[in-house]
Amino acid sequence: MPQLTLKSILGKRSEITTWLNAWSEITKSLIAVEDVQHGYLFGTPEYKVQHTFSVSLDEDLVGYVHGDNNDISLVADLLSLTLKKEAEKKKLGTEVLNLYQELNVIYNFSEKLSETIDPDIIAQLTLEQAMHSISADSGVVVLWDGESQKLLIPAASGESFLNLEQISSQSAVLLKIGFSGQSEIMGDLHRLKEKNIIHQDVKSVIYAAMKVKHHTLGAIILVSQDTEKFSAAHLKLLVTLALQSSSAIESAMLYEKNIREVREREEAILKIHEVTKKFVPNEFILSLGKATISDVRLGDQVKKIVTVLFTDIRDFTTISEKMTPEENFRFVSAFNERLGPVIRANHGFINQYLGDSIMAIFPRNPDDALNAAIGMQKAIFNLNIEREFLGLPPLKAGIGMHTGPLIMGITGDEHRLDAATISDTVNTSSRIESLTKYYQTAILLSDETLKYIPNIEKFHFRNLGKVLLKGKNNLLTIFECLNGYDDETQNIRISTVAQFNEALKLYQGQQFQKAKLLYQDILLKDPEDYTARKFIKKSENYLQNGPPENWTGADEMLSK
Amino acid sequence: MDQKILIVDDEAHIRMLIEQTLEELEDEGVEFLTAENGEIALEIIQEENPQLVFLDVMMPKMNGMEVCRRVKKDLGLENIFIVLLTAKGQETDRQKGLDVGADLYMTKPFDPEVLLERARQVLGIV
Repeated sequence: MPQLTLKSILGKRSEITTWLNAWSEITKSLIAVEDVQHGYLFGTPEYKVQHTFSVSLDEDLVGYVHGDNNDISLVADLLSLTLKKEAEKKKLGTEVLNLYQELNVIYNFSEKLSETIDPDIIAQLTLEQAMHSISADSGVVVLWDGESQKLLIPAASGESFLNLEQISSQSAVLLKIGFSGQSEIMGDLHRLKEKNIIHQDVKSVIYAAMKVKHHTLGAIILVSQDTEKFSAAHLKLLVTLALQSSSAIESAMLYEKNIREVREREEAILKIHEVTKKFVPNEFILSLGKATISDVRLGDQVKKIVTVLFTDIRDFTTISEKMTPEENFRFVSAFNERLGPVIRANHGFINQYLGDSIMAIFPRNPDDALNAAIGMQKAIFNLNIEREFLGLPPLKAGIGMHTGPLIMGITGDEHRLDAATISDTVNTSSRIESLTKYYQTAILLSDETLKYIPNIEKFHFRNLGKVLLKGKNNLLTIFECLNGYDDETQNIRISTVAQFNEALKLYQGQQFQKAKLLYQDILLKDPEDYTARKFIKKSENYLQNGPPENWTGADEMLSK
Repeated sequence: MDQKILIVDDEAHIRMLIEQTLEELEDEGVEFLTAENGEIALEIIQEENPQLVFLDVMMPKMNGMEVCRRVKKDLGLENIFIVLLTAKGQETDRQKGLDVGADLYMTKPFDPEVLLERARQVLGIV
């Protein structure tokens, strides 16, 4: 702090100067003020000869008052007093400035802390600030990690005076200081030097505990090679910085923990969704207007026009009789593994596996279902090529489909929910699939499905006539899609479509003899057309027994 | 020529703090002048012609912006270095300050080290 001089109270704008002028005028006295450097601050040297009084501050001589009478001793006293007051004011000002400076440090420090949520960065900022404000030679921030039961050092600076390895390994000594929750300027450095934690040249150590309420997170330790380097003011500032830093670190760690927990929870939920997706098709959940299975509630339902498709392995019972239950399971699984992807690739989803049978739903267009059916038959051809190599008999599957309204919903009770489809469409579709055995066809569909197929020219169909399904009152017209056969069969069937359709008309018009002949004609070209054979048998039956009364031309399906 | 710094703030403790911060410049022969409002500040500026003015923005009577504008624009005293001081959170004033010709803009609470450093730079005292 620069020494207070007479000059500082006798400036041009000074009130003392104004007062001196007034005094000089009123008392008609000559006054001069000289400082110790012999500079004249008031009046001129001519007045020096007569009377002189000294002006002092804290017993130090700072100048003289000269004049022509003894009364000017009062002026000297007044100047001394003013200097004294001025000095007091200055001292107070210095203290306030120090406080202000400290406040500013803390203010800036909080601002910096608020910009980060990384505990390590907070520790580094704290050390940086402490080293700057307290100008130590070395410093560390140590934090106790409860999980690993170790002291961590997230920040260190000027390592030459501190042995970080020793700090980590000799944690017991540091635990005593940092974790007793105390803060102090250390008197005895003997133990720290003995344990080689601090360099022999270190003369001063100051530390502050980093506490949150009554819980100690760690400590900040500063060292210096100067003796008695640290003051009480330093300790106060360090404690403040440590406290601010520890609450920021605690918040940051809590934040990290929360983020971690949220992430873990999200991952767990995702995993559950992944698993449930395999049991309850995601499309099913999406159709309910829900994002995930967790959003689904009992009673949720949606009504939609869909195409329901059923597949079935022909003669599965016969095949499975020759297998052990394990072989059976593997066989069905292998079969389903081939067909599942075809269904998904065509925007369908598997609603249910029923042993060797699959029920799939196609919520978009029926041609999705038809494409899937053709694809599945192709997959079975490929499977059969493999089976042939293995010396196994080929497999055949029938696929049937029907289009109509379907209610998808969640049934059960609050403890056991299940995805359910409730619809007559499902039953009808299942019955149509059964017809593939009766007619010995690969793919059958109802006229309801055919009606909704937009690009009908892409496929080849033939009409198999009307049927009255068991337990139903309305007639359904059944079509066969010929694209479900191997190329050779497909081509030969397509070549007889016109004849086949003609024969059906005759059959439905009860001209059974003519129909029979036409079907036989087809058989000559295509001896493996078992559907044609079926119609020959039926025609023969009606020729022999005559059709029932009120015959509509429909086959009544009495069995399922 | 003696160098002069004028400190203008309606709050006495801020004037004192700035004076105290810059105290060591007194040893270099720098004289400090203070004013508690804009009108007085304008008077002193014209009489004393200080090299550097620390000027608070929010003051009764004439505010800092107006003082700055008059000094820089009306009086044409462009060589007087004016530092505008404003409370944190009112940084939007910055552009206004620059518009009225202020040379520098600082926020309160100010960093004493930075304030002293600026004053040294402006006065050419290294």
